[in-house]
Amino acid sequence: MLAAATGISFGFFLLGNKNVANITVIYILALILTAWRTDGYLYGFISALFCVIAVNYFFSYPYFKFNFFLDGYPVTFIGMLAITVITSTTTTALKRQRRTVAEREKALAEADREKLRANLLRAVSHDLRTPLTSIIGSSSSFLENYTELTDEERTELISNIKEDSQWLLNMVENLLTVTRINDTSADKVKKSPEVVEEVVSEAIQRLKKRLPDIQIRVNMPNDFLMISMDPTLIEQVLINLLENAFVHSGTAGPIDLIICNASDQVIFTVRDYGVGISEKRLPYIFEGQQTSSENADGHKGIGIGLSICKTIIQAHGGQITARNHSLNPDGSPHSGNSAESLKAYVTSAPRSPGGAEFTFTLPKEKEDMKNA
Amino acid sequence: MPKFSVLIIEDEKNIQTFMSKVLKRHDYRVLCADNGEQGLEIIRSQCPDIILLDLGLPDMDGSAIITDIRTWTSTPVIVISARTAEQEKVAALDMGADDYITKPFGTSELLARIRASLRHSNRLNTDSPLYIRPYRHGEMTLDFSRRLLTIGTEPIHLTPIEYKIVAYLAQNSGKVITYASILSSVWGPYADDDNKILRVNMANIRRKIEKDPAQPKYIFTEVGVGYRMAEDEEE
Repeated sequence: MLAAATGISFGFFLLGNKNVANITVIYILALILTAWRTDGYLYGFISALFCVIAVNYFFSYPYFKFNFFLDGYPVTFIGMLAITVITSTTTTALKRQRRTVAEREKALAEADREKLRANLLRAVSHDLRTPLTSIIGSSSSFLENYTELTDEERTELISNIKEDSQWLLNMVENLLTVTRINDTSADKVKKSPEVVEEVVSEAIQRLKKRLPDIQIRVNMPNDFLMISMDPTLIEQVLINLLENAFVHSGTAGPIDLIICNASDQVIFTVRDYGVGISEKRLPYIFEGQQTSSENADGHKGIGIGLSICKTIIQAHGGQITARNHSLNPDGSPHSGNSAESLKAYVTSAPRSPGGAEFTFTLPKEKEDMKNA
Repeated sequence: MPKFSVLIIEDEKNIQTFMSKVLKRHDYRVLCADNGEQGLEIIRSQCPDIILLDLGLPDMDGSAIITDIRTWTSTPVIVISARTAEQEKVAALDMGADDYITKPFGTSELLARIRASLRHSNRLNTDSPLYIRPYRHGEMTLDFSRRLLTIGTEPIHLTPIEYKIVAYLAQNSGKVITYASILSSVWGPYADDDNKILRVNMANIRRKIEKDPAQPKYIFTEVGVGYRMAEDEEE
């Protein structure tokens, strides 16, 4: 750095510009850069000393000789020294601060991860046992009491087994997605440019295989939208959100999936027209902690689905939020008591919220901008 | 009609049992192998009409079986694989597998895959003029001889490239077709590896033929692998 400054100064000097002020400015710049690049005061102090000497020796009259008795020389010296010390102090402090912040962030991420892991484990040990109990119980009662059972009872037992195993499958797929997120590398997920409608359509197709009755209205822009993502993970997010909307909204009405193309991100909204989310739970909805007592609908808990959604979206650099909206299925504001004006599929009774709404964003990357 | 014979190469006994039960009920002759060695032996001695192959076998890599048998037979192979392994699927398809089915699968899905692969291999074997017969699914009709696609009664205008893509998928309806396969069939063997051009064309086709492009009826996406056109209804 100092050598470069000396070189540039020589350049000036030889070009005939013998203005000491210019040269001093270049040295000061070099000093600041040196302080910025190094740790502690020692380097700064040494370079300050070097600069003062160099200016004196090379660039002030008499050239290539030391003359410590120039006018105002002590001022230059002290000035340079002061600049160095101050810059060194500031940059060192800044660096230290930056390091602490990074460390703290890392610790936070670590804690987040730990929390997710703990939730997963809890879900595995608790939630998996319920359907397994039912599967084992149903199948052994089927085998042991085969002759005594009526046809309807047999069908019921077998349908229970099927339902529970499908629930298990969904759980396992959620768990599997977590293994696709790589925490250690800078790219947490393996992204590839994907066409949004293809990912959406595959998610809906897979969900419909499991829930044939689900009705989904997709509203998306007509443009060709390609963004970088891990399609398997985003599909899982869509499936989790849509399934949630279907199972927990308390209505069989259609669910809206709205996709918006903003300048630097794509916004996905899943909106149902059901009972909404209780205010008490709303802040913790992505935490994956849910006590069974709050499960008013008696269905197996949301479990880890939403916390996995959050993990996936964050790993993509996006954001996910949940809120209650106040719209009718036709898009008009929800008035609360004009039940007869609503379409037939809206159950009845005035409710204050129009339903639950989950929104997540996926950032567009440079590559995606080019594709657009 | 003679029964088609199906060979199941699968080490998991329960899955083997379930598949053979289903297939027997649907009038297939079922052969089973628990490992790759046994499977190859049966393929060589009995020449099954179709092979269902699990890639994770105890004694050898399932893909080795595909490469082995592809040196001497075109018997359709359907790979059974896990959902998350797109790379594995694409590799198996590139090696010469005809289709894949994702674990866990239902019976209707299994039967549809087998039907589609058998139909396609029969076409190749008998050289029958089935290509001339139009493709039909739902409201869509694709008349190969007139190069005409209609939905209901309304003809849909496709560009030459779009027509080529749809025709290629329709000829292989019910089967998954990889990006690479479509690219080389439509743009020729020296086509660019980048499949973006295909996806743009596909998006345009979707907008022309599907009422709701996000919930398609005719052409389905298998993300990371390729496209699959709904099974031809006439047969």
